[in-house]
Amino acid sequence: MVWKLVKEVLRVGEATVLYPFVPAVVTAGFRGRPQHDPERCMACAACAVACPPNALTMATDMAQGIITWSIFYGRCIFCGRCEEVCPTGAIQLGQEFELAVMNKADLFEQADYRLAACSRCGVFFAPAKELDYVLILLEQAGLSGEELEERKALLGICPSCKRRSDIAKLVGLDQEAV
Amino acid sequence: MAEDYAKATLLGASRYTIHVDEQTTRLKAALLKDIRRSVFVYRVDCGGCNGCEIEIFATLTPVFDVERFGIKVVSSPRHADILLYTGSMTRSMRVPALRAYHAAPDPKVCVAYGACGCSGGIFHDVYCVWGGADQILPIDAYIPGCPPTPYATIYGFAMALGLLGQKLKATYHVQGENEHVQPRYPKIPLDLRIDIERASRRMAGYWHGKRIADSFLDMIQTADSQVDENVQAYLRQEDDPRLTEIFARLQQIFLAHPKGK
Repeated sequence: MVWKLVKEVLRVGEATVLYPFVPAVVTAGFRGRPQHDPERCMACAACAVACPPNALTMATDMAQGIITWSIFYGRCIFCGRCEEVCPTGAIQLGQEFELAVMNKADLFEQADYRLAACSRCGVFFAPAKELDYVLILLEQAGLSGEELEERKALLGICPSCKRRSDIAKLVGLDQEAV
Repeated sequence: MAEDYAKATLLGASRYTIHVDEQTTRLKAALLKDIRRSVFVYRVDCGGCNGCEIEIFATLTPVFDVERFGIKVVSSPRHADILLYTGSMTRSMRVPALRAYHAAPDPKVCVAYGACGCSGGIFHDVYCVWGGADQILPIDAYIPGCPPTPYATIYGFAMALGLLGQKLKATYHVQGENEHVQPRYPKIPLDLRIDIERASRRMAGYWHGKRIADSFLDMIQTADSQVDENVQAYLRQEDDPRLTEIFARLQQIFLAHPKGK
């Protein structure tokens, strides 16, 4: 009887993981720390809109012309919505789970991006990288030559100036007069 | 102490921290130095969903076995060295949280556990939520996660006790001069990409759907002529009937498109 038990114990072996002494192996589908590649990011804010707990936020400094992307890991619920909505693949959930910190400030990650100023009124209106990306997409869609130049000029104009120039075109006014 | 309660009970007194004097700080350093393998933890649930509690108990099971390190959960704050605060600190739990804090003998270490304990988590902007244990208590260590896995819990404790170092550091990036983003799949027509992404998400759900669509698009992008062989090799390697079915559908869509033909 006891012999049987001892045999069973030997068969089963050690169940306890050796974790802090050997690195942990997590499964392939594990959703760990969202890893942000700031160079692939174009500050489009799709992730900040999708983030359920608002761990991802965007802040705009209109005076300096800077848009700041930031993540607070203390609030993240590791749902992966940011990865799903990111058009450029700049954010991806990794396998990292060792996120504990002594200092709360270490839970933040930030990235600053420049805003583009409107070519008419000079007001900052959209991230410069995002406008670049749109232009590349337009080229990919098959636009070229004069049409592309026209779109390029339109891209550099803020929405309110665009509206004004559209009205001017409609009523046949000189654009400079508006 | 009475003053603390008075302050905490005041409506609108959402942010104030207990003053930790120099003597207590010195004692705390001595505690962390001498505690070794006798760590008594008292768990305070301040309005959590119980996910964190389940993971704490998973950490105590033979598989993860934190008693290897002498970490033991006790049932009274009067025996505790570490107070483990879970939950988003709701209005009605703030006074019991303070009572547990004052009941524990000095010196003590406070740990915020889970996304809610660290910051209020997904409930951070709810009207009755104070937004994390650090809003009313001096917190020494933060263990984020929703909930933190047993591995993350072991790491958090090992770090709080000074056995392991902290890995995460704050980062700050400023846009460089020539930073441009290129589209991920420049060779694939937009309509084909959208059809593939939609079909994949419909069949596998949002997160896995995106990952599966990406792996298929990568294959189309890299090898124009031998997509079929690559897909078959990948499916053999993965050996997952669900993935095979999804890929079969994606391939149908690809072949129906003028580019695929």
